[in-house]
Amino acid sequence: MRCIALGWPAAIKELGFAVALCCATASGLAGAARPQYGGVLRVDLRTASVNLNPAKWKAGSADFAANQRLAELLFDRLVALDNYGRFQPQLATEWNHDGSAKRWQFTLRQGVKFSDGTTLSPGDVVEALQPLLPRGMQVTASGGGITIQCATPTADLLEMLASGPYFISKDNGSGLLRGTGPFVLESVSATARDADKAGGDGTASPTQRLRFRFNENCWAGRPYLDAIEVTLGVPPLKALLDLQLGKTDLGELSVDTAKRAQQTNLKCWSSAPLTLFLLKFSADDKPGQEQRLREAISLSVDREAMARVLLQKQAEAAASFLPQWLSGYAFLFDAERNLERAKELRSKMPSSLAGAVQPLRVTVDANNELSKLIAERVAVDARAAGLTVQTVKGGARTSNDAGPKGDGEAQLIVWRYTSLSPRNVLDSIGNTARRQASEAGVPLDAGARYAWEKRMMEEKNLLPLVAVPDFAAADGRVRNWSPSPWGEWRLADVWLEASEASAPRDAAGKSSAGARP
Amino acid sequence: MSFRTKLFLLFLVTVLASVSAVTYSVTHYTRAAYEEMDNQRTTALVSQFQKELAQQREIVARQVENVTNADVTLKMAIDQTKPDPDQSLYVRDAAGAAQEHGLDFMEFVIADGTLISSAEYPARVGYKETWVTSGKDWNGSEAFLRRVELPNEVAVSLTAVRTQPNVAKPFYTIGGRRLDEKFLGSLVAPAGLRALLYLNLDSSFVPSDVISSSEKVEQAEKFAPMIAQLQKQPAPLVQTIQWTNDADSAETFHALPLTGRNGELLGALLVGSSRADLVHLTRHVMKLAGAVAAAAMLIGLLLTWWVSARITKPIEELAEGAREVAAGHWHTRIDLRGQDETGQLAAAFNHMTQTLSAQRERLVQTERVAAWRELARRLAHELRNPLFPLQITVENMQRARQLGNEQFLEVFNESTATLKAELANLNSIVNRFSDFSKMPPPEFSRLEINDVIRSAVRLFEPQFHAVGKPTITTEYFLKDGLPEIDGDPELLHKAFQNLVLNALDAMPAGGTLTFRTAETQSGVRIEVSDTGKGLTPEECSRLFTPYYTTKQQGTGLGLAIVQSVISDHRGTISVASEEGHGTTFRIELPRRQPGVAPKKTQAALAEEDPAKASAETAAAND
Repeated sequence: MRCIALGWPAAIKELGFAVALCCATASGLAGAARPQYGGVLRVDLRTASVNLNPAKWKAGSADFAANQRLAELLFDRLVALDNYGRFQPQLATEWNHDGSAKRWQFTLRQGVKFSDGTTLSPGDVVEALQPLLPRGMQVTASGGGITIQCATPTADLLEMLASGPYFISKDNGSGLLRGTGPFVLESVSATARDADKAGGDGTASPTQRLRFRFNENCWAGRPYLDAIEVTLGVPPLKALLDLQLGKTDLGELSVDTAKRAQQTNLKCWSSAPLTLFLLKFSADDKPGQEQRLREAISLSVDREAMARVLLQKQAEAAASFLPQWLSGYAFLFDAERNLERAKELRSKMPSSLAGAVQPLRVTVDANNELSKLIAERVAVDARAAGLTVQTVKGGARTSNDAGPKGDGEAQLIVWRYTSLSPRNVLDSIGNTARRQASEAGVPLDAGARYAWEKRMMEEKNLLPLVAVPDFAAADGRVRNWSPSPWGEWRLADVWLEASEASAPRDAAGKSSAGARP
Repeated sequence: MSFRTKLFLLFLVTVLASVSAVTYSVTHYTRAAYEEMDNQRTTALVSQFQKELAQQREIVARQVENVTNADVTLKMAIDQTKPDPDQSLYVRDAAGAAQEHGLDFMEFVIADGTLISSAEYPARVGYKETWVTSGKDWNGSEAFLRRVELPNEVAVSLTAVRTQPNVAKPFYTIGGRRLDEKFLGSLVAPAGLRALLYLNLDSSFVPSDVISSSEKVEQAEKFAPMIAQLQKQPAPLVQTIQWTNDADSAETFHALPLTGRNGELLGALLVGSSRADLVHLTRHVMKLAGAVAAAAMLIGLLLTWWVSARITKPIEELAEGAREVAAGHWHTRIDLRGQDETGQLAAAFNHMTQTLSAQRERLVQTERVAAWRELARRLAHELRNPLFPLQITVENMQRARQLGNEQFLEVFNESTATLKAELANLNSIVNRFSDFSKMPPPEFSRLEINDVIRSAVRLFEPQFHAVGKPTITTEYFLKDGLPEIDGDPELLHKAFQNLVLNALDAMPAGGTLTFRTAETQSGVRIEVSDTGKGLTPEECSRLFTPYYTTKQQGTGLGLAIVQSVISDHRGTISVASEEGHGTTFRIELPRRQPGVAPKKTQAALAEEDPAKASAETAAAND
């Protein structure tokens, strides 16, 4: 059975079409100019450090976005999803699966070379993918391709492989990873580590600058840009100022700076809601009163006001774990505030319960201003229902932390949607909530998945609050920039409009079959 | 305690009291002066704070006015007058305005009280601020203290509110400056003074909310009572806090309540004044006083010793002289010169002893004469009794010579018989006197006094109950287990017989004779009581004088013998009598000393070796 775009949720397709339309319009206007080779794209990222080894990324981690954006410069996936919601061949040119969707076969593109000149082999793919795949999936080399054998029907395997950490890389023996992507890491700023090591598994310290140069051996041809210089640890406000002053070409922004950027002539971009803010309670025990407290807090929070006022209409109220664009059924969940009911629940609570008289302490990442703001809003809303919630500053949180690090009874966690597979995402969130998954795991079927998610919502170990998109802005000379709604920046297709732009030095690679989405 | 010691202590106490009084006075006046100065400094700091506060009120009001009049704010206010305004646009603007105008707090509130932007608490955006819409004429009001809720704390702000005058709907600008360490830092406190702020006036005291301009306030919990008192009554108060056991750690705090627009208590300014200087000064004074006191005491000690010695020496000499006189040394003289009171006292003493000595000699001579007279009278009386029959008998015999032989012989025989009898009587009288003059020395042996009493009285039992005579009843109250004494049973027997005879003579109409014995600290006490007619005090005083008697028939030697015997036993005898109620003789004898041979009396010694006895007597007299 040959599939090109299999099982892609309708919602994503709709979203993809809309974004693609916008991008097409934008690029159509810009397309009047002819693409030009050359130039260095300057990029400002908020994150202070990156990790370019996909095997070390954590699902749902807030750092995932930056890691992925830089990794896609170096590595390729087997397949990719274009803005129209269609799967496009990358390192795999063809794929098919059996009737139960347990056995998948991929035919690899011929003649693909790593940045060090070595040829990509099925063995390399197996070696790269096997550590990344979840348990129950076995990948083997078979002729000119690979076979992935799944323990359970996995109809959404392509969504999985087109997102998340499933990049094909190769360890050359020294711990350094090489890829087949359009760029290679040329250097890390002088005060840090050597370029090769940072290009492998290294993390870069704050204010580091990474320089990527084009990969001459790229199977998809040479990118337009000569290089990309990425500066890490740039606060959003500074990134905006840099953009306005022409000191950078592309910058990552925050909610408030995005609002400001929209009032300028910068090209602003926002993704679908990709970052979910959740209130996580300890899942150790849940006596009835505790459950009542959680429900009261959930009912007291005005998610709409949070998204509309506090986050300046830049976010979406989250009534479920999966966003509408990913699940297609999020609208079925009710996130409306019910203060009267919350007060009623509060009145039935014993005074000894944390949150009644003694404050319920919510640990927040002290370095994340948005987390603090949302947690404080939760406290304010809860107070309106007679509940006492206090925010406590703690260390950085990731979704994979076992529980609150601080001494708070709850924590505000930030969850990054890192997979295009709703099942995969829900499964990861379920692990975070310490939910005992059933043997079969999260169902593939949307209806069953809805029921599964609803049950998880009712457990109230996690209270979704708001989902916030990624924001970025680009200078007017950045052309053909069409990032995906799910956060891929796709800088390989960008070219810079500049009078001094250099002529193409080598266009031979462009003749290779296939193209990036 | 001797007079000298008393005098010495009196002097000492006087010196100490004087030094203490001076020290107290100096310390008191020093403390008063210091506290006056301290009050002045504290008042100056408090007024500086109030001045600073007033100045800050003006500054804050002006800054908030500036924010209100800024174009951005005006645009914001105008936007809010449009239908369905987008309030989310301004969420962050308050932070920028606060930063730009140097304010700590800044909020924008629209006509219905909805907070659309907050610098200090952005999470509250969208909520209502009703207090601001209820206020009138904000533009004419000055800045006031306000309690500001922050995400995890409460702050006190010097707040001003202004409204946009040029828009249709009210648009409120609320700005303020926080009362915090920085604000305290603007106060210049003199050395030894410090200013603290307490800004959380919840019902429970939170020590960490006591702040200073620099370092963390240690042991802030000690302010709890002060703050509690302020919460009860928001009026200035003063309290002293001792931080450690050391007195110089104490600090006096003047608490000034900080109240809000409606008079509610929002905080307190605590101006602390260290008492270390005062304590050091007091200690210095005390040390100085201590040194002065020590020196004064040393000098006083010597002086007192010398003075008291000078004062008490004559008195001691007088006392010694008195003791000498009491011991019988009538010729004692005190050698004290001088014209002062002690000299006069000594002269008077010497005069007294001289007079007493002369009078005693006269008295002795008088008594001796009286004794001789009494003896002569007794002798005359005693001798006259037999002499008269002798004379009659002799005259009868002379007259009988005229009679015939037969008759003469009869008379002669009768007369010679009478003469013999009377001569025997004379001999008896002479023997009694002779016996008294040479009382035998006691032969000491161990004995129990109760036995001696019983055996002595037993001889008189027939007389007590003789037919035709009044009955004498005897009563014995003899205590068992009395200590043994050393005594001569015969002499003691004789003494008790004399006492019984004396009692019989005293009770011619019968009565009760009572014997009592008891143990005393030094030996035993014997009491012999009769129920006779008793004695007059004058009779009592002369009762033991030899040859003194109140009876017609008596030699006056009975009780003298008793006294002699008791004296030879190193005992004492006394008499107590009340006229008409009988007489009691009380004898006290020393107990036997185990292992010590009884000391022989002077009489015994004289009996054994008269020469040696006279030598010992001479030595004793010396």
